[in-house]
Amino acid sequence: MANTVTTPEGVQPSRNTAARVHDVWRHRGTLRLLVQRDLTIKYQQSVLGYFWSLLEPMAMAGVYWFVFGVLYGTRVGPDNSSYPLFLVSGLFAWLWVNSTIGEATKALTSQAQIIKTIRLPREVYPIGRVLARFAEYLAGLPVIALFVALYDGHVGWSLLALPLALILQAAFLLGFALLVAPLNVMMRDIERISRLLQRVLFYAAPVIYPLSLVDDSDLPGWVKTVYHANPLVGVFQLHHAAWYPSEFPSPTLLATSAVGCLALLVLGWWSFRRLEPAVLKEL
Amino acid sequence: MAQPVIEARGLGIKFVKQRRRKLRLRELVIHLGRRAPGKDEFWALREISFQIHPGEAVGVIGRNGSGKSTLLRLIAGVMTPDEGDVVCHQLVAPLLQVGAGFSGDLTGRENVQLVGALYGLHPAQLKQKLPQIIDFAEIGDFIDMPVRHYSSGMKVRLGFAITAQLHHPVLLVDEALAVGDKDFRAKCYREMERMRSEGRTLVLVSHRESDLTRFCTRGLYLEKGRLVVDGTLDEALGTYQQGART
Repeated sequence: MANTVTTPEGVQPSRNTAARVHDVWRHRGTLRLLVQRDLTIKYQQSVLGYFWSLLEPMAMAGVYWFVFGVLYGTRVGPDNSSYPLFLVSGLFAWLWVNSTIGEATKALTSQAQIIKTIRLPREVYPIGRVLARFAEYLAGLPVIALFVALYDGHVGWSLLALPLALILQAAFLLGFALLVAPLNVMMRDIERISRLLQRVLFYAAPVIYPLSLVDDSDLPGWVKTVYHANPLVGVFQLHHAAWYPSEFPSPTLLATSAVGCLALLVLGWWSFRRLEPAVLKEL
Repeated sequence: MAQPVIEARGLGIKFVKQRRRKLRLRELVIHLGRRAPGKDEFWALREISFQIHPGEAVGVIGRNGSGKSTLLRLIAGVMTPDEGDVVCHQLVAPLLQVGAGFSGDLTGRENVQLVGALYGLHPAQLKQKLPQIIDFAEIGDFIDMPVRHYSSGMKVRLGFAITAQLHHPVLLVDEALAVGDKDFRAKCYREMERMRSEGRTLVLVSHRESDLTRFCTRGLYLEKGRLVVDGTLDEALGTYQQGART
């Protein structure tokens, strides 16, 4: 550190990506504390506590099952499997996306006091949000397992799709959080855009409907291409594929998704570093 | 002389003048947070260079808006300079705001664990020091109550009690000394003196001459973002008072 040279923008070259990743890793204990605090604050004051994290997706699943399962008679996959498990596997994963998008914008603004006082790698705040919401997803796994048992989900090699889905989803959400948290400090509009994005993305990915409905529809080809470019399409197909092997994404879709998620992570990480000095002044 | 603990070289930081600064999307995309140079900018600090050696007690003096707090933030690393750099060779405890980082919904005990850990204290260490912290803050059983219900005095006392347990060799203090009632303030001063007597380095920003003369031997006088005097505390104070008179 002693001989840092300063470039015109004032970015110290010694703070390269590897060093910053290492910095965050060194502060993983702090990260754990922040996540713990997040969860404690969220759940300690409600009587139902942790069950809220299950209740919300369950209520949503109930509603969608009623509308699309009962009224529209949706069936899933080539063998017309049951719909409730499909919904649950999609919705629990969706809530991780949904709550992260909702909170990522405030990750820095709500922590202004600490950020301005204590020196920590600033990345820990958005990363902490993503991890805290992931913890809630993990809390829901027993419910998914229950539905797998009740509705005859396929259990086998296809299960490997689940960790793959989670890794890609984590990359996507980390990238997103790192991108929007500093932007929101500069422009509070980001918060509104994010809220809009939450709604659009929900229907723009196969969360509650099978992808085949989109593929078999008579939408023009370019719309389908645009639809498939959404990295979350592959992610949610993987989530479903864990229990419905027929849903496993095609190599092209999987590659699109992987590239998209990683690109977002890189973009988020890069922009976070670029915006950080301005953010610190603005907070 | 030994290696300096804090080294600032040509330090400068600029801010944007407009109070309602709205970054336009176009600008953001094109300049990526760096603004086009020129208009609306002013340098809050510029060409600041100094070295602070182990065990020194430095008072930073200047009028409101002269960049004192910004300087402390730069040393603490919670802001990034636009020019030059500042290097700290030892662990720095930034006491920029007493009670920063408390969450109202957590109890005093949980907050001590959290904030202490954010400052870099080990959880086991914290647990062991908790009785001392409670005792010092004089809050007794309230420690298990959510901080939301604390009086402002209690919050400040708890905040100071945590920072008194830090073992960092360099302390950056931003007018956080005069907290609480008279008795508690006296206690804070004793604590500060204890830390000083342990040979720790101190950088203090204050408007109160009594605080400065009590703790500091060296003075840095800032005027409009420039370092005008770097000498003994009396020299710096002298220039400050001269400036105040004219």
